[in-house]
Amino acid sequence: MTDFPELTEEEFRKLCEFLYRRTGMVFTEAKRYYVERRVVERMTLTGSHSFAEYFSRLRADVKAEVEQFINAFTVNETYFYREDHQLRCLTSDLMTERIRHKKRGDLIRIWSAPCSTGEEPYSIAMWLLENWPLVDEYEIEIVGSDIDTDVLEFASKGVFGKRALMRLSPDLIDKYFSMLSQDSWQILGDLRDSVRFSTVNIAEPGDTRTHGRFDIIFCRNVLIYFDDASRRIAAENLYENLLPGGFICLGHTESMSRISSLFEVRRFADAIVYQRPKGVV
Amino acid sequence: MTDRKTILVVDDASLVRLYYRSILEPGGFEVKEALNGLEALEAVLSTPVDMLIVDVNMPHMDGLTFVRSLRQRQLPLASLPVLITSTEREQADFDAARMAGANFYLVKPIAPETLVEFVTMFCGMAR
Repeated sequence: MTDFPELTEEEFRKLCEFLYRRTGMVFTEAKRYYVERRVVERMTLTGSHSFAEYFSRLRADVKAEVEQFINAFTVNETYFYREDHQLRCLTSDLMTERIRHKKRGDLIRIWSAPCSTGEEPYSIAMWLLENWPLVDEYEIEIVGSDIDTDVLEFASKGVFGKRALMRLSPDLIDKYFSMLSQDSWQILGDLRDSVRFSTVNIAEPGDTRTHGRFDIIFCRNVLIYFDDASRRIAAENLYENLLPGGFICLGHTESMSRISSLFEVRRFADAIVYQRPKGVV
Repeated sequence: MTDRKTILVVDDASLVRLYYRSILEPGGFEVKEALNGLEALEAVLSTPVDMLIVDVNMPHMDGLTFVRSLRQRQLPLASLPVLITSTEREQADFDAARMAGANFYLVKPIAPETLVEFVTMFCGMAR
């Protein structure tokens, strides 16, 4: 990744202008490192040999590069209730299907991998509390995993800034967080206790296997950063981590059908998810 | 309400404790929590509470063992109202709870209005 020379002022300006027009996000010289790191990453992944080559690819939107490029700038900007259509799908369809095969009081396992700084697994817990009336009838286990131990430490502390909470109503913030300062809030102890955090590399079978099988896996916006080979390995790992009939939710720009034929596509009112076929043990 | 009633929620599942708390606090109750029967015993010995909501299946000390132990204490502890909550719905489960000294048994899932109704009644408040 460091083989590429840094961007010239003109290249940097063109790129920032492009980003601004497409996303409204403003990047200045002060963010040069942040921008360059992501551009170099996209250049590597697309096999571009120079910035000029990459930029024309981006402008021509080869293989939906614009979306990939934008994602590269937003992937770390996770926040509570992100892609809430999938959370709606969780309570309107997925949980209902999963409990059809269970007895009252049985365990329902949900995995958020990668979970980054914890917004996703905590969002799942909050969403279930708010929207699933059977929350006390089943034993719900939520596991958040990531390859990065720094983000996991952050996640288990459960302290978040204004940006992470931007999609939550003041009522929800009041109900589930305590204010530490003007712009930092800590999620309630019971919510912190409701999520177990662990380290995992989803492209490493030895790593994923130790986590056991889940009813529902959220694996959003990570497979796009893998090459074809690792993507297939990760998909096979995740398949092994699902109970028969279990579901996997990917990011809105991702499609499992392009990666692996192991899963069945399920189209629900709120989201498209992938299912491990029921009959296959 | 000037005199807020205090409810001790005893359940090993943090989501369930939080769910009951999120129903009871807006209803004007103060909520304390314990993760199992042992913690619940410590809690009632150290802080006054008005009633208890107790799950059955918990590690360290299950709900029914806890209720039996509570009923053997001195008054007023021994007479604290106990609402048992469980996913089990057999007659044998209801009988076992009654024998242990529970005042009432609700089968999970418990709707918010049902929980508030029973808690209000056991706290001796007007409905």
